[in-house]
Amino acid sequence: MTPRELMAMQSGLALCRHCELLSRLPATHGKNYCPRCGHEISFRRNNVIQRTWALIIAAAICYIPANILPVMTSITLTSAEEDTIIDGVILLYLTGSWPLALIVLIASVVIPMAKLFALAYLLITVQRRSIKSNRERAKLYRLVELIGRWSMLDVFVISFVVALVQMKPLMAAEPKSGIVFFAAVVVLTIFAAQSFDPRLIWDSADSMENRNE
Amino acid sequence: MSENEEIKNIPQATTIPRKRARFSVIWIIPIIAALVGVGIAVQRFLNEGPTITITFKVAEGIEAGKTFVKYKDVNIGQVTGVSLSKDYSHVVVTAKIAKNAANLMVKDAKFWIMQPRISLSGVSGISTLLSGNYIGLGVGNSTEEQRQFNGLDTPPIITSTEPGRQFLLKADNLGSLGFGSPLYYRQLNVGQVIGYDLAKDGQSVDIKVFINAPYDKHVTKNTRFWQASGIDVALGANGLVIHTQSLASILAGGIAFETPPYTQTLEKAAENTVFTLFDNQDTATAKHELRADPYVLAFNESVRGLSVGAPVTYLGLEIGEVKQVGLHFDAKAYTLRPQVLILYYPERFFSRFSDRQIIRPVQPSTLQERHEHLQRLVDQGLRAQLRLGNIVTGQLYVAFDYFPNAPKVKVEWEKATPQLPVMPSGLAEFQMKVTNILEKIEKIPFDDIGKDAKKAIVTLDETLKDAKKLLGRIDAELVPEMKMTLENLKRAVAAAERALVNADKTLVGPDAPANQELREALQEISSAARALKVFVEYMDSHPEALIRGKKQEKP
Repeated sequence: MTPRELMAMQSGLALCRHCELLSRLPATHGKNYCPRCGHEISFRRNNVIQRTWALIIAAAICYIPANILPVMTSITLTSAEEDTIIDGVILLYLTGSWPLALIVLIASVVIPMAKLFALAYLLITVQRRSIKSNRERAKLYRLVELIGRWSMLDVFVISFVVALVQMKPLMAAEPKSGIVFFAAVVVLTIFAAQSFDPRLIWDSADSMENRNE
Repeated sequence: MSENEEIKNIPQATTIPRKRARFSVIWIIPIIAALVGVGIAVQRFLNEGPTITITFKVAEGIEAGKTFVKYKDVNIGQVTGVSLSKDYSHVVVTAKIAKNAANLMVKDAKFWIMQPRISLSGVSGISTLLSGNYIGLGVGNSTEEQRQFNGLDTPPIITSTEPGRQFLLKADNLGSLGFGSPLYYRQLNVGQVIGYDLAKDGQSVDIKVFINAPYDKHVTKNTRFWQASGIDVALGANGLVIHTQSLASILAGGIAFETPPYTQTLEKAAENTVFTLFDNQDTATAKHELRADPYVLAFNESVRGLSVGAPVTYLGLEIGEVKQVGLHFDAKAYTLRPQVLILYYPERFFSRFSDRQIIRPVQPSTLQERHEHLQRLVDQGLRAQLRLGNIVTGQLYVAFDYFPNAPKVKVEWEKATPQLPVMPSGLAEFQMKVTNILEKIEKIPFDDIGKDAKKAIVTLDETLKDAKKLLGRIDAELVPEMKMTLENLKRAVAAAERALVNADKTLVGPDAPANQELREALQEISSAARALKVFVEYMDSHPEALIRGKKQEKP
């Protein structure tokens, strides 16, 4: 048996997330506040799982229109074309630049979906109080947090294109509703990743140990 | 380290945060996302317009996903597919139409491919040079929905929403007209030809024209349309007449219309009224009389120069026109005479009266009355006569004039085309005179004169030759002799001169003896003359002394 990990929560202690003051929390129900900065203080953030689920579900809902609706209209002299993300990927692939197509595909389609699945997996395991591969799950979480900031690629590209390609009437680009949903997916998954408390992974492991004890 | 001890002793609290039963605010986010998503889906579904198919002969510049369907330059749909028909004879274009334009997809809606068109009468669809071709829509009036359409080959020039009216013109031939040929009213472009077709019987061309509002109000029941195409050059009894419209219409053709000022009714013509398209302005604006009485004139002279349409004048005023020039065969006398059918327009005749108020009541309205009226004029000596209208072209016209000395004629009014009496034209008389002169000239024996002249000329020639010979001889023989003679003469003159000088000296010089004697002799003669004078005086006073002798002086 590994030496028992000391947990602040078990000692009735909690750290203020703002001023980092360690303070003792009474075991009573109700809200607690940091005696120094006055911020709300608790052992674990409230409703972490519920909050994360809500954000993940919202992101999943937005993921559908983000991929179905066109993200951009490219207007040229002869035509106006509305493209979805997948259209763009196909176009890039067909025009021969498959590495670029791959990047866009991964950054815009695969990663958001992978993030959703990863977060969902983490939540489910936490809720099931799984104790298996805790380290791997913690790694997965760090990975989700890490790549979260890079998945706005499409939004950046379209923002640049729309701003720069304004040579009417020769050519112009206009953002379409799809990009809003795509941005929503990205933002919601980042929030979801943020709101998830990785300590929960260890909490269940700890409680399991306790139970075994 | 009491605290540590204390912690250890504290009973185990729950390690899992308490699940709260109450609804967390965070669920608003997925709900909003779901609502927005569902909202967009519903909106998409509701906005889903109809999909239509249009059949074209060729899909020039039509691409799936790129070509729009436009109405009034607004996108109302997009082509989603272009495919060939099953029998490969035409192209089927599938297009998705916006929901808000779904009501335009009715039975008589028209579709056409808009592309740049350049014709003499104008350039259209230039914007498609840059934007690419699109499918144009012309709304229909029907309310019956339809999803399958036949595309037009050419864009209609007028869409049914444009204010104005449409009329039908019947013409003998199309001339240089075409789609979009302009319509001119006082040389203002007020409309277009929107279509033409051969009449069902193939005998005429039906031309559909559209006149834009507000100009369409100038089309009345009496409006005349004529071809303003090109240059209308007419050579008639009135001389050379050239009519043109604008330069564009000279090149591209056009139609002009006008309501002649003499027409009384100003009633607007109804839509789709049928009009005749005349060949030129003159025939169009010529009064189209309600009544036209035909009469026959049988001339006894050549009608060369008399063309159909030549004016018929009454005392110089136009009252009709020549309708037909032909031959009349009189079986009894076996004679062929030119016969001229004229149309007499009584309205025109009576409209010439300056005071209409007076003439109106007596204006003959029935044919019989007009015949009586004409008979009266014929009785007064009204006769038709051919006259030369233009001395250069030799065009003739028919003139009615009074010849009081003309023999009385009874016109057979019962005939369908009564024959009016004619008068040999001054033209014929003039020709006769010229002929007479020519005949007289012909009688002159130019041949004999010529022969005599020839003879005389020959004689003269001989004489001249003799003279020449004579002169030659003179030249050769006389001249040297004369030269000698002249020299001799010269010498003689010189001798005479010398002699005279000598004579002067001997005879005339003051000391010359001859001079002395001459003086004395002269004195003698002088005294003798004196004596004679005395004698003559005496004889004058005493003539008897010649017989009796000198009287003794009385003491």
